[in-house]
Amino acid sequence: MSETRQDIPTIQKFIAVLWPSFLTSGVATILFFTAFDPQELAMVGGYGIISRMAGYTIGFFIFWLLTATTCALTCYFQRPCNQPPSTTHHHHPKDA
Amino acid sequence: MSSKVTPASETTNPEEIYAKHQKVYPRQVTGIFANLRVLGVLVLLGLYYIVPWLRWDGHQAVLFDLPARKFYIFSLTFWPQDFIYLALLLIIAALALFFFTALAGRLWCGYACPQTVWTEVFLWFERQIEGDRNKQIKLDKAPFSARKFRIKATKHLVWLVFSAWTGLTFVGYFTPIASLWTALLNLSLGPWETFWIIFYGFATYGNAGWMREQVCIYMCPYARFQSAMFDKDTLIISYDDKRGEPRGSRKKSADSKALGLGDCVDCTLCVQVCPTGIDIRNGLQYQCIGCAACIDVCDDVMDKMGYPKGLVRYTTQHAMDGKQTHVIRPRMIVYAVLLVFITSALFYSMITRMPLRLDIIRDRNALYRETTEGMVENIYTLKIINMDGKPHTYHLEVDGLEGLKLINQRGDIEVPSGEVITVPVRVQIDPINLKHTGADINFHLQAVDKPELSLIEKGRFIGPVMQ
Ligand code: SF4
Ligand code: SF4
Repeated sequence: MSETRQDIPTIQKFIAVLWPSFLTSGVATILFFTAFDPQELAMVGGYGIISRMAGYTIGFFIFWLLTATTCALTCYFQRPCNQPPSTTHHHHPKDA
Repeated sequence: MSSKVTPASETTNPEEIYAKHQKVYPRQVTGIFANLRVLGVLVLLGLYYIVPWLRWDGHQAVLFDLPARKFYIFSLTFWPQDFIYLALLLIIAALALFFFTALAGRLWCGYACPQTVWTEVFLWFERQIEGDRNKQIKLDKAPFSARKFRIKATKHLVWLVFSAWTGLTFVGYFTPIASLWTALLNLSLGPWETFWIIFYGFATYGNAGWMREQVCIYMCPYARFQSAMFDKDTLIISYDDKRGEPRGSRKKSADSKALGLGDCVDCTLCVQVCPTGIDIRNGLQYQCIGCAACIDVCDDVMDKMGYPKGLVRYTTQHAMDGKQTHVIRPRMIVYAVLLVFITSALFYSMITRMPLRLDIIRDRNALYRETTEGMVENIYTLKIINMDGKPHTYHLEVDGLEGLKLINQRGDIEVPSGEVITVPVRVQIDPINLKHTGADINFHLQAVDKPELSLIEKGRFIGPVMQ
């Protein structure tokens, strides 16, 4: 199980982190900015006047950063932790 | 091979799935399903590029005006307060997807998904510039040369220009497209618009030019879970291995019976046309996007050989097993009932929607004031939102306590379509009439020219109580 996961191409690992987080941050952005106007938030927060497009864009990327971090941590914690560190890195089914 | 629907994991070993990606060169195909697919591309992309240019009542007909926080869809204007409609719409879309998947498999993937549709266009450009499948393979194998560079550079340039146009159109759904183009031609595009045009443009270029079938295989959540909606009555694309096997090449004149061969001439054309690079003869695989290219090409082969069409065809698992196919079955009924119910709910609430809103904000600085005439006065700021397609003039009244007096210096309030007007008003009362320190009062707002456009909103009146 863990071997096959280790075995997936690097690009697929990137996709597994960046893509689901992209989707959920999109949903979060929609929900959040439906409820709150970025211009009012910036005023209340003391950031002065920003354009709403800037607010949406920055909001989206903050959400993406958060969700991507979550995905990356999930991937990280899925590695087996009972293997000696020397084999976790270099183990490959073809070598076995 | 058995005639069972075999998941990919049983037919392909994991090392093959995760082997380094090999470029797929889908061969061009003609036939009835190819025509349907082209029709889908023309209609959907035509709509995509044209719709932002439609005008309605002096504004862009479809505009999700994010900077102004208003959505225009023809004569309707939606506000953040109308979020429920968007939520309902998304639920309907999801249910419709479930319904059609259970009924007809991956129709969405093969004909309507933006990934498929844009990939078709990019493939078309590639064929115009690089030539057909064989030429493309030859070109990629050829050593680097000026000619190869010229052809590849032309292709990427065309792709990039098309992607940029796509990105600009995308942003044109969110900020008025005409002013976007003007800004582009004057080189005065805003930074955020520029960013999103490039972002969406690159997503198009990357997904339709480079990633292609890998998006479907690795990135699409629907592709992974759609099998949960499949049953033995779902329409699938399948190779009839009872009829086709044993496969083998032969002359057209040969008697396949005598040779002991099935109908598959093992021409591998079905593999060559497949945009995801799989062999449909290995059974149903989750990589198959149901584009039916293999049906078209195999039907051509069968025609040429003088065999009946349909060695690869749309069918169901039940039909393949020689059983009856049921279109109406419990899960179809459940999806259909839910769909009808939620769609009617959406329409009902849209039709009965009151395109008018009144927000009442009490003055924060003072609870109340006493006037020189000995009246108790509260001050409010009213926000009147006209969500209707036309301007209206509204009449305001207040009641709920005896002897309430409304002081509204503006008189009747005119609000243009899709605008918010802020009106400061004062409400006074003789303290004799106050029984409690706080009481609810009602603001009545009614359009003068359209009496059915009216609402009542509660406000709080605060004052001293006279003993
Ligand atoms: S196109 Fe038809 S005949 Fe040719 S290999 Fe595929 S299934 Fe066999
Ligand atoms: S197997 Fe056939 S229907 Fe499925 S993706 Fe390939 S060509 Fe399209």
